[in-house]
Amino acid sequence: MLEFAQPAALWMGLSIGLPILAHMAYRRVTQKYAFPSLRFIRPSNIPRTGRKTPSDILLLILRILLFIVLTCLLADPYWNENPSIGIQSNQDETILAVDLSPSMTGGQALVEAKNLAYGFLSDQKSNTGLLAFGKKGLQEWPVGTDSESLKLAVQELEHGWERGDAQNMLERAPEMFSQNTFRKKLIVISDFQRGDWQSAFRDLASLGVEFEILGVGKNEQGGGRRANRSVVDARAVPAGPNTIRIWGVVRNWEDEKVEVNLSLWAGGEEKESKDIRLPPLASAQAQFLLPAGDFSTAMIRLEEEDFFPLDNNRTISLLAPPSKKFGFWFDDTNNPETIEESEFLRNAVLSAGGSSWDRWETKQENADGIRLGDPQGALELLMILGIESWFNDENLGPKLLDFLTTGGSALVTPGRRFSSTASIFKQNNLMDFSFLRVAGGANLNSIPFRIATLETSSSLGEVFSGKSARDLYLTAIRRFGILNNLGQDLQVPLRDRQGRPLVVIRNFETGGRLVFLTFRFCQTWTDLPLRNSFLPLLMELTESSVSGSNSSTRTTLEPGEKFGNKETFYAEIPGVFRFKDQVVEVVLSPVESSPDVFGTKEIVQALGGESKVLSSQDSGVGLLQDSARSLWLWFAIAATILLIIEMLWSRPFLDTAENPKTSHA
Amino acid sequence: MAQLAQDSLLDPAYLNQIRDFSLLARVVVDGALPGIHRSLRQGRGNEFFQYRPYENGEDLKVVDWKVFAKRNELVAKTFQEDTNFNLFLVLDASGSMGYKGVRGTCSKLNYASMLAACFAYMGQKQGDRVGLFAYGEEVRQWISPSSGTAHLNRVLQGIASLEAKGKCDHEGAWEQFSTALPSRSMVVFLSDFLEAEEILADRLKFSLSAHHEALCLQILDPDEINLPDSEALRFVEMEGEREISSAPGVIREKYEIDMRKFQDQLKQKLSMVSAEFENFYTDQDLGYALRRFLGMRNRRGQ
Repeated sequence: MLEFAQPAALWMGLSIGLPILAHMAYRRVTQKYAFPSLRFIRPSNIPRTGRKTPSDILLLILRILLFIVLTCLLADPYWNENPSIGIQSNQDETILAVDLSPSMTGGQALVEAKNLAYGFLSDQKSNTGLLAFGKKGLQEWPVGTDSESLKLAVQELEHGWERGDAQNMLERAPEMFSQNTFRKKLIVISDFQRGDWQSAFRDLASLGVEFEILGVGKNEQGGGRRANRSVVDARAVPAGPNTIRIWGVVRNWEDEKVEVNLSLWAGGEEKESKDIRLPPLASAQAQFLLPAGDFSTAMIRLEEEDFFPLDNNRTISLLAPPSKKFGFWFDDTNNPETIEESEFLRNAVLSAGGSSWDRWETKQENADGIRLGDPQGALELLMILGIESWFNDENLGPKLLDFLTTGGSALVTPGRRFSSTASIFKQNNLMDFSFLRVAGGANLNSIPFRIATLETSSSLGEVFSGKSARDLYLTAIRRFGILNNLGQDLQVPLRDRQGRPLVVIRNFETGGRLVFLTFRFCQTWTDLPLRNSFLPLLMELTESSVSGSNSSTRTTLEPGEKFGNKETFYAEIPGVFRFKDQVVEVVLSPVESSPDVFGTKEIVQALGGESKVLSSQDSGVGLLQDSARSLWLWFAIAATILLIIEMLWSRPFLDTAENPKTSHA
Repeated sequence: MAQLAQDSLLDPAYLNQIRDFSLLARVVVDGALPGIHRSLRQGRGNEFFQYRPYENGEDLKVVDWKVFAKRNELVAKTFQEDTNFNLFLVLDASGSMGYKGVRGTCSKLNYASMLAACFAYMGQKQGDRVGLFAYGEEVRQWISPSSGTAHLNRVLQGIASLEAKGKCDHEGAWEQFSTALPSRSMVVFLSDFLEAEEILADRLKFSLSAHHEALCLQILDPDEINLPDSEALRFVEMEGEREISSAPGVIREKYEIDMRKFQDQLKQKLSMVSAEFENFYTDQDLGYALRRFLGMRNRRGQ
């Protein structure tokens, strides 16, 4: 089926042809004629020559045909083998994209944007859709939604709290247009805040979408976007018995120094207020003290109004973080080594907690729940003592892997038969190593093995220095399993002086950590539990992983972020929230406070360069490219042939005076 | 009935190609009027005429004594006597006189110039004093009447130099002309007389005098009486800027009636001041025009 990529050219041809036709039909030939006197010349009706019968019908038909072919040529004809695909809607479609990111609250930008959108909808002549971005993903009203609904939607638009992401809008907007729309137009109304737009790019022109950008929120009368101060950070830490120190950081975005009043609010009233001087384009901090236990939350607030009010306060939690929990897996038989080891470890971990903000707590029921396949609650550290055949008998391998992959840490000590321990590791894919033999196993009175010097670049090397290192190096290891052929994913933080591994660690991508000691924490294996270095070594081996996981202490999120693995907390608005036994602080994204905006040139570049109108056929969107064959060349040849015939036909005849003929030209 | 010039040696189309008006005048006058005889009076003039045998009783002053000394024979030397009659040619050289229609063989000014040259030649041949007054928007040529071949050549050169241009100011030109009109004159007006019928009779009142005669020769192109064949034309005034679009086929009949009426009115008004009126068309034989002129002159002379 013959179709046209530029059907507007047909209208253009019609608009040119009709006036010519009318001119030909109604033209009056009045040749100028100089005459001595017009005294007796009277005006009269002049007959229309166009109504005369054309003198050469064939030439007329030829010229009409030539004009039609030229018009079709301009319309870029093609042959579509699948006509159903190429049906043109011949309608313009427009999508209004309104930015709802938090920065749009600055300088009444959102109000300005809504007015612009409302005004456009009042004057709209084409199918229009609405796409709001920056508020909990995208909100969209498809093209073709009636104008009144769109106006109502525009009026009800409110800013979001999530950090604006223009890329989402740019990905979605072109897909909202109908496939065969002749003209697609995207109108973006935004403050073009740099944080929201810096990573946005899409070549709209190549998709056949022309765009228009409308910048709002320049606050030209209110001193510009730089007239802003923001609370960029706030923290609460214990400051001695029954006291909490709260400090807040305020940034000045202006080029000149200002003095602001920062206040602390708790329990619904202002507790303290301080004036702080802010240097140009710099930050300053202020500290407040509050009695511990009286309030669960507090708010740091800037009292002065500025360009962007949303970043003028920050709410923080004053509650101590929940304690970290640990538990044990071991065989039920009364093995004295296991009992001794568990007592050492329980006391050590319990004593590892410092103040009330950093506590450890035994939760054996949680450990048992994991062991039975019915987890009851969170567990940060699982200690598996004397791992042996019972581990396989209870099929605990997959459960341990589950625990590790969900971010938990596990400390494993070998059983009585080290070979059995090694095979369990291999069978359950916990670690990849080969077991050679148990060193020192034959003679308990032999010379003990000593710990090798720690590498200075290792994490343990940073912890142990000076006297504590000497205490560690004096530790006697009486027995330990000699491992070799360690897998590549295993780390060895501790070795004996001959370089044989004493501790092997496998880190999981999800933050979990499996720590395997080649000896046990009891008198027959080592005197480490009796040394001062035991507790820091134990916590360093396990806790680094624990503190790195998301399941610890207090969590700070930005709106739009998620927290948790099985049960998820979705951060929506700034504030302090409890999620299970956690306290989650949700804070406004700091980039929203930045006064920097994209210039027109940068925005145009981000949108793929100069806006231009392309049909969907040109843009490659749709399926026309596969089924369409251009006929442009054929029409060009036809036009050329017709033009040559016309020129030959209408050329003046060079006959003699005896046989005069007229020219058709 | 006008005599058309086709296939005649005196066809203006051919004669128009002769640039020398002296030659043209001789060709036309001697060719068209072979039978006219000199009616020159011999007497005391300056221009030598002929020798003849002396007759007894004549004044001895007429004897050419140099011839008597050579031939011993009394011969009387005669001179052409001045008629003391002034032939004043008045030519309209305004822009409208430059019109040459589809059927015309030359422009109206060319036709009038050829006629004027012939009149001057004839006048000189008959012993008249010939003068020239040509005008358009201003006076272009003003040669006072005089006799002699040299003066004739001067008049003919003046005629040849005329060019049709500008508007026509009949009233101003004639006013100047009438102040210098010599006594005993025959004034021959050659013009299309368009737009002039109101003032023409008034300005030619001198014709009522016994000492003056006025002949008005209206020179028109055939298109001016019978509009050209065309479906529609935008007529542009040659001496103005007016434009009128019209279909000649539609207005032709009415236009001709108006033109004829205009000519009749002109003739009637001129007759009241004892002036002759005749119209000529540029496709007419010049000999016919000369004979008409002689007829008019003779009528005036009776």
